Amino acid sequence: MPCEMQQRRWEHRYCNMWKSLVAAVALVAAVGSANAASAVNKDAETRTLVVTEGGSKTDLALAAGETVEFCANGCFVTLPNGDLEALTGSETVEISGGVARIK
Amino acid sequence: MLFRLLRLVLVLALVVSAPLSFDAAAQGLGQAPAGLVADQQKILQDLTTKTDNLEKKIQQDAEDDSALVDIRLQLEELSRQSLNSALAFRTRLGEINNRLEQLGAAPAAGQPPEPDIVSGERQALVSEKAEINSVIAVAQTLSIRISGLIDNIGNMRSALFRNLLTKRYVLSDALSPQVFSDASDEFGNFYKAVSSWLSFAFKFKFQAILAATFVALGLALVLLVGGRRLFGRVFEADPANENPSYLSRLSVAFWSTLLPTLAVGAFLGSTIFFFNYYNVLRGDIGLFLNALATVIGVVFCVNRLTNAALSPRLPTWRLIPVETGPARWLVRLATAMAVVISVNTFLSVINDKMGSPLSLTIARSFVATIIVGIILILMAMLRPFKARDGSWRPWPAWLRYLSLSLGLFTIVAALLGYIGLALFVSLQVVVTGTALITAYIGFLSARAIGDEGAFANTSVGRWLSANSSYEDTALDQLGLVVSVAINLMIVLVFLPLILLMWGFQPGDIQAWAYKLATGINIGSVTISVTGILSGIVVFVIGYFLTRWFQGWLDGSVMARGKVDTGVRNSIRLAVGYAGVALAALVGISAAGIDLSSLALVAGALSLGIGFGLQNVVSNFVSGLILLAERPFKVGDWIVAGDVSGTVKKISVRATEIETFQRQSVILPNSNLINNSVGNWTHRNKLGRIDIKVGVAYGSDVKQVHAILLEIARNHPLVLKNPEPFVLFSNFGAAALEFEIRVFLADVMNGNILQNDVRFAVLEKFNDEHIEIPSTPRAVVEIKKPKAWPIDDDKIEADFAEQEQVKAEAEAEKKRLAKTGRKVRKPDPD
Repeated sequence: MPCEMQQRRWEHRYCNMWKSLVAAVALVAAVGSANAASAVNKDAETRTLVVTEGGSKTDLALAAGETVEFCANGCFVTLPNGDLEALTGSETVEISGGVARIK
Repeated sequence: MLFRLLRLVLVLALVVSAPLSFDAAAQGLGQAPAGLVADQQKILQDLTTKTDNLEKKIQQDAEDDSALVDIRLQLEELSRQSLNSALAFRTRLGEINNRLEQLGAAPAAGQPPEPDIVSGERQALVSEKAEINSVIAVAQTLSIRISGLIDNIGNMRSALFRNLLTKRYVLSDALSPQVFSDASDEFGNFYKAVSSWLSFAFKFKFQAILAATFVALGLALVLLVGGRRLFGRVFEADPANENPSYLSRLSVAFWSTLLPTLAVGAFLGSTIFFFNYYNVLRGDIGLFLNALATVIGVVFCVNRLTNAALSPRLPTWRLIPVETGPARWLVRLATAMAVVISVNTFLSVINDKMGSPLSLTIARSFVATIIVGIILILMAMLRPFKARDGSWRPWPAWLRYLSLSLGLFTIVAALLGYIGLALFVSLQVVVTGTALITAYIGFLSARAIGDEGAFANTSVGRWLSANSSYEDTALDQLGLVVSVAINLMIVLVFLPLILLMWGFQPGDIQAWAYKLATGINIGSVTISVTGILSGIVVFVIGYFLTRWFQGWLDGSVMARGKVDTGVRNSIRLAVGYAGVALAALVGISAAGIDLSSLALVAGALSLGIGFGLQNVVSNFVSGLILLAERPFKVGDWIVAGDVSGTVKKISVRATEIETFQRQSVILPNSNLINNSVGNWTHRNKLGRIDIKVGVAYGSDVKQVHAILLEIARNHPLVLKNPEPFVLFSNFGAAALEFEIRVFLADVMNGNILQNDVRFAVLEKFNDEHIEIPSTPRAVVEIKKPKAWPIDDDKIEADFAEQEQVKAEAEAEKKRLAKTGRKVRKPDPD
């Protein structure tokens, strides 16, 4: 039954409640479900990560202070110090002083 | 997020820390757990071999679509495994890096040399790290290679499909007399294979066959009979019913297609299962039997569906209002089409297995597609409706032309040699058409159930309203839920079915379902169905747990503990809010939603909240204060401003007060916090009632005092302590004023007491002849005639005039009496 057909006031209120509930769920789903891995560069200079994802290698240049989301379904990353690491897609890579840490 | 992290931590802990912790404890940090690198190397080697095998298999099965899909699934699994094996090194790498940092860089040329133990350890760590990096690099290479293979498979499959549709065969070769001899050869082979299997089975496995058949039959019978018992009234058309409703026609059509088909499917499936179980089947016979089962299932389903929708025997139950004759023909044609397509499919399995010449395959497909095309054209030409004047009318134009063009297309494609294309189209027409029509009927019935009041009229609805306490609105909402559930079921059942028919492989659908469950990426946003669903489920569970806990606390603990109702109410509300908030938080984190990204939104909103929702927030906080401080409870008699009444409900934003006139007043909580609130029943219900009494001047005041006091004392509701008191309060303007002041245990009884006392006072005063003076306050305007000016002459004149009038009237009377005439009424003016 569409909301417009509900004559009584209290029913209308419930109807609006449902609408807002749906809207809230949609908002939460849209806002909240970002869960790729992210990389943060806390240094003053640009750092580069080499990301291997889906069969191709790409250079991911991070400007000073930049945060980038990447690697949603698992990937390999070459860190600035030459270390190779695997990521599942939920980690945060933090670069400071040229050293990357995975959290 | 939380769950994912937990899971990750668990996996990592299992994989890494178990061997590591022992080693680390025994040998200190400096030593590598010797097994880790070797283990993972071995795993990766294993994965590489598997990948090699799969790559070879891709070359072998280049022509087989379903095998390719299967390989792709395995490759995806391998890719995940290689990533996992690389993940196993993370902790160790972190430890090595930390230790290296602690050791510091190697001393430069000019600096004093460091102790050997330090340089030795550094050396060991660096070499271990290099080793680990090389292993991870192997995993990386492997994953790149697997990705390449997966892409390759995708390309091969689309090429295969294109090839199937566009390949042209030379018909003149296929349709030579040679075909007949080939066919008879093949039939002979098939006959030999089957008969040899049959004789083998009867000789050695007769009992097993019997057992398997009987078990399968029993299962199908149980399903059919049980289904009939449960849903009998739902899916059997009642011939006695002259005018079945649209809804019942729909549901009968839908269920009478679905349930028997399911039963037959279960029978066939379990037959094959039990044959396999008892080892009755040989390899090729198993394939034949599978194909035969599919064929029988499809034909049965098509036949049931057309029968249900067109019901040639019961015109009143027909969904599509065609005439009886055409309905019969349509059922026959549709079934014939299904039979042709199914037999063709079955024969193709035999051809494959027997390795028969291509010409035979082409000839068979050619015949089948031509027949399907002709049937389609026949259906299009059918005139199923009758006009008012008795003439037959054709299908609506779009349907007619669609069917006609499909039929012509199939025939033309077959004649031109595009057998694959023609076969594909005719197969789609039969199977997809059937699935689509069933799904459409299901959708229609779901919509009909969802209509207002429709569910209450169904048999389930009637049963529910008779056997449960559901009201009409609840039933209506239930109908809505049922309709949504039916829709969902249809999508879940028929979407994969149709996708399957359209050449997608089960593996494709499985991969999609996996993706859908774990999360689809759109940009950097991942939407995961399972995440959201699990969040909702967790929230619902939390909500009901809270409700249950609330009920238990309120009903069992606090009621038994003789806790005051107001306190009970406050505690229940507080527990409810806390529980729901907690459930929401847990649900959100279970849904994998990162609350930190919400914090940004919250920060942006807080300014808006500060301004726009000021009142609401202040009311909310006030509500919490009301619950904590409890200036009044539910059931109290309060006076707030000009509102006086009983508190009915304290909720988050507002408090509901019922006045004694039974008017509900909703007071915002902030009003109750910021302004003074009088509460008659705050700590106790004790209260004083004052009753004023006035007696006339001259009465015996001592006696009056005594009488009033006695009345007050004798009333049962009046408390002995504090004592009732009679105050001689004033020498009033008209009366000597007294006031009876009595205390009551429950001030709510004030009205009863006042009535009783006043009646008693009046009675007693009457007995004792004590006057209660009344001072009429109302000003009554009495209309006086206008005063003449005081003038003696005038009065005299008036008097004389009146005398004269009297005399004249007397004279008149006498005169009238003499003449004997009746007295006339005076003139109106």
